Amino acid sequence: MNTGESDNGTHDPSLADLDTRPTPNEGPDTCSTSEVRDLEQEVEYVVDECFFTVGQVVGMRTTIDYEVVRWWREHYRARFLAAMKAFGNRWLQDRTNVTSVAIMLAERAVRYSEGRPSIDCDAAQRAAEDVERYCTLQARRQARRHASDGRESALPRIAGYWCIYDPEP
Amino acid sequence: MTPAQEVDYILNDCFFAVGQAVGTRKALDFEVIPWWRARYRAFFLHAMTANGNSWLKDRHRVMAVGRFLGQRALHHATDRQSIDLHCAAVASHEVEIGCRMNAVREGGAAPARTLDRS
Repeated sequence: MNTGESDNGTHDPSLADLDTRPTPNEGPDTCSTSEVRDLEQEVEYVVDECFFTVGQVVGMRTTIDYEVVRWWREHYRARFLAAMKAFGNRWLQDRTNVTSVAIMLAERAVRYSEGRPSIDCDAAQRAAEDVERYCTLQARRQARRHASDGRESALPRIAGYWCIYDPEP
Repeated sequence: MTPAQEVDYILNDCFFAVGQAVGTRKALDFEVIPWWRARYRAFFLHAMTANGNSWLKDRHRVMAVGRFLGQRALHHATDRQSIDLHCAAVASHEVEIGCRMNAVREGGAAPARTLDRS
């Protein structure tokens, strides 16, 4: 987990400002082969850091099945890479927000795995659904706020875009 | 899945384990992530190429080593705001010494050898 801890060392995801409002690039197709190669390397660091954060929050309360590692990695790597191809690598600006969401993912997964020996795929997927629902709601709220301010309301999905950006639009 | 693909899943698994041991007491400097990734990706790939992919069998023990790595990094970061590259490198050095000793004691094919290129 990175910055923004509260007194007890945790970061309240409800306080996270998920709307980082980046300006998109011209689109995924504009990335050159070498840029894509760089992003494919950089997305690994992002996924690693998210797993680290989830581990921090889960702590020694329980552990995760390897199938969960596979599922979360495939699920989020695709989204992160799609977001990075569209908006560039904004990880260093956005990591506090995104790891805050990872904290929520971990807490939900622990809750859904209560009574089980470890976090299994069912618990992990339900947690991911919760988190993505939260991110989507945040995105809509942010879009409405910007629209009511008279600011352009395009790209409402940018808020929380790291985890809800559709890899196959 | 080729070892080069599988190793990325294994590294994710290990980052989870390191995070478990660190807990929410300390943050991790971002620069540590690429450093640990490059280091252990090379070690793991070497082990998988030489000995085959035995991750599911060895996972329990290697995850324990990952947690030990997290504990040592946390220990070395006592007076710092976060676990920086220096703390991470010292922790890695300690853990790898332990793994080498373990590998010698167990006569070779132990999972700890995933950390040992020799």
